[in-house]
Amino acid sequence: MQRLSILIIEQSFIIREGIKTLLSQMNQPFSMEEVDEFVIDLPKLLRKTKPNLVLINPKYIGTDIVLPRTNNSKIIFAAILQGEIEPNIKSKFECCLQIDADKQTLSKQFEEMIEKGAGKKKIQQNSTLSEREISILKLVALGLTNNDIGEKLYISTHTVMTHRKNITRKLGIKTVSGLTVFAILNNIIKAEEYR
Amino acid sequence: MLINKDMKMADVIHLDHHLLYVINRFNIQLGFEDKSVADVCAEHQVNTSFFLEIVNTYHDPSYFPLKNLKRFSPSLLIDYLQKTHHYYLGIKIPEIEQYINQLTLNNKIEPAHSKLLVDFFQSYKTELTAHISREEQRVYPYVKKLEEFLSLVDDGEVSLHEINEYSIQKYEEEHDDVEAKLYDLKNIIIKYLPSPNDSSLFNKILHDLFELERDLNNHGRFENLILVPIVEKMEKDLVKKLK
Repeated sequence: MQRLSILIIEQSFIIREGIKTLLSQMNQPFSMEEVDEFVIDLPKLLRKTKPNLVLINPKYIGTDIVLPRTNNSKIIFAAILQGEIEPNIKSKFECCLQIDADKQTLSKQFEEMIEKGAGKKKIQQNSTLSEREISILKLVALGLTNNDIGEKLYISTHTVMTHRKNITRKLGIKTVSGLTVFAILNNIIKAEEYR
Repeated sequence: MLINKDMKMADVIHLDHHLLYVINRFNIQLGFEDKSVADVCAEHQVNTSFFLEIVNTYHDPSYFPLKNLKRFSPSLLIDYLQKTHHYYLGIKIPEIEQYINQLTLNNKIEPAHSKLLVDFFQSYKTELTAHISREEQRVYPYVKKLEEFLSLVDDGEVSLHEINEYSIQKYEEEHDDVEAKLYDLKNIIIKYLPSPNDSSLFNKILHDLFELERDLNNHGRFENLILVPIVEKMEKDLVKKLK
């Protein structure tokens, strides 16, 4: 997974620590640069720290600020908000962290922010095997080596290995004997065939 | 929260009951009254700081004080690793095995399915046993020989060929992945066996498998991050000494 480079501009130590704690529960590696004072030259700070994601308490950059946006380097700006906030401030940011929200709401906001920051949506992984994968699983379960399988199906060993990686990822089973058990349980092979 | 020597041993267990299994390895048994960790350790002639590092790395997976741990003598470490092995093969594995064999007595579970699990577990057990006996018979004696040799002032008498026969690098290569089968077994039970009418026996098995896995991971960290580097250093020292 790609490491997220985060810049945080917020004076409160306890809020920064809280944000770090929540982030570390999100299963997303990150590094964080912390700024705890009013920022005068935001573009300069961005050039220096090169973040993917910037968390800002709007108080520390001034309410009339125009966020520096360039087309070639996409930085996601998130506002650290507390209490009632003017909508025109909110609209400047891609996402918001409402720090007085409950844990459930905050988790959603964090998830959204990380997705945007990492520039990709979590893909719901399809865990059903394709027909090709089933035929390969069958041969693996019967004890054939990658080489044997390649020859039998007229594909390269490398392709067999790619299929096997996908099978393991989809099923959550890593070993040949585990795959054999799976294949028997699902009637892909018969226990007698294996003996 | 880290465990320290002034904490009451009883509170340590309240804090993290998984440590019961670890504490027993030091031949420390229940009945702590209000004694502190240091008191209990002294009573059982256990090195308190070693004890603390072991329980803390077990209790908190993010705590792994390499520097502190490398200070301890290899034989202290090996002694602990051996006790852990004994716990796996003498207690934990037989316990899980007993549960898995009970599946075959349950007439609500398809005999073919319980047989699959029994066979799978047996092959796991065989692999784990082989892995452990390789360490016990080849690696640990080798490390002890190295330690013994390095502590000698006069090196004339030691038969060097015993040391030359092996090197820890070999150990690293042999150090195969016993974890994968355990991982598979968990998923087979959680995801792929047809749902049983009553999960309770499966729950017990899964609980034990998770417990064993956590223990093995901790054990593996000790081997790879401490034992291997210590021994590599001893091997270098040996080369120096021989020059």
